[in-house]
Amino acid sequence: MTWVRTAASRRWTLMTSVAVFGLVLTTTASAQDKATEIPLTIENNRFSPAEIKVPAGKPFTLVVTNKDGKPEEFESKELRIEKVIPAGRTANIRVRALKPGSYPFFGEFNPKTAQGRIIAE
Amino acid sequence: MGATFVVVLREGFEAALLLGIVYAYLTKIGHPESYRYVTIGGALALAASVLMGVGVTVASGPLADLGPDVIAVGVIFVAVALLTWHGWWMGRHARALRGEVHRRIDEAHARQRLWMVGLIAFTGVFREGAETVLFLWGLLTQLEDSSGWLSLLGGAAGLVGAAILGWAVFQGGRRLSIQGFFAATSVLLLFLAGGLVASGVGRLQGLGVLPAGDPLWDTSWLLDDQSTVGSLLTGLVGYRARPTALEVGGYVLYVVVAGTLFFPALVRRRARRASDVPEPAVNTQR
Repeated sequence: MTWVRTAASRRWTLMTSVAVFGLVLTTTASAQDKATEIPLTIENNRFSPAEIKVPAGKPFTLVVTNKDGKPEEFESKELRIEKVIPAGRTANIRVRALKPGSYPFFGEFNPKTAQGRIIAE
Repeated sequence: MGATFVVVLREGFEAALLLGIVYAYLTKIGHPESYRYVTIGGALALAASVLMGVGVTVASGPLADLGPDVIAVGVIFVAVALLTWHGWWMGRHARALRGEVHRRIDEAHARQRLWMVGLIAFTGVFREGAETVLFLWGLLTQLEDSSGWLSLLGGAAGLVGAAILGWAVFQGGRRLSIQGFFAATSVLLLFLAGGLVASGVGRLQGLGVLPAGDPLWDTSWLLDDQSTVGSLLTGLVGYRARPTALEVGGYVLYVVVAGTLFFPALVRRRARRASDVPEPAVNTQR
């Protein structure tokens, strides 16, 4: 029976850590609330503007509006961001302070056409 | 058509792999009558994915901005915990399963394991489930012309492709000896879970919870992780074209630590060789 008890307590530890983690994430994110907002639009399976210039060293928020009739996923391998934006909706994506450089992103659901990059300088 | 095929295949690949493994696992431990635990786990995950898809579509504000990320990262680490536990269990019991007599794991042991495999099926399907549901849903709303139908056909073919892959893993796994199966799946799950750790760490870096860093190396000239092969390798062994130090560190640390849990026999053999002390009796009965 000891196994059952340890399994149950393990499960609790797991659930508690998930909850604590969620809390940490929420507070971290809300601390960045004052970041600059940069608009980005998805239309006809493309991003516009396809090139976004941001100042290096400052976090910012991408405000992505999907004007297409189907969901799209904003994804950047470099930035480790994946975010589904449903049809006709707007999503806020917080981006950390970037070092100078080029950071490509793409629409996972239309990778051929939906391409863009963020230039931090 | 080809594009939607690839998207769905990529999303469904890991789920199919895990389902194939856990179904085969139940066959190998002599409990094919318990397939329903996996089936229920997978079906619940499908329902949860649809709910999540609806949730993402209707939610707004901070819930919509952060909720999916919290859930995504949470699912990744829960999956790592489950796979580690499963691998650890296989490592402990691989030695006890020699010969036909032990082929069928006793009822009490098996019962404890069924929840585990059901949960593995759940996290495997749920991890990319909501995304796949939303993608297919999007295709369904674009059926005005023939290209819309072709896209949907491609997406459906992607699902079938993933299912065939899972079926192949299941059939292949069933044909292995039980030791062979435990060894093969332990290796597979070890690196898959290592890749999940790297994914989770990367997502936390993307969210600003962990400090981000420059990539340690860049192998995108050789194999881009945006390519089909690259992204399948990401799911299988955690390939990254430009990994950060924390991702590499997390991956290596996980593979080393979990490796000793998954393959206790290797560790024991090495320790014995080093100290020349007789091997202590191992209680596999718990």
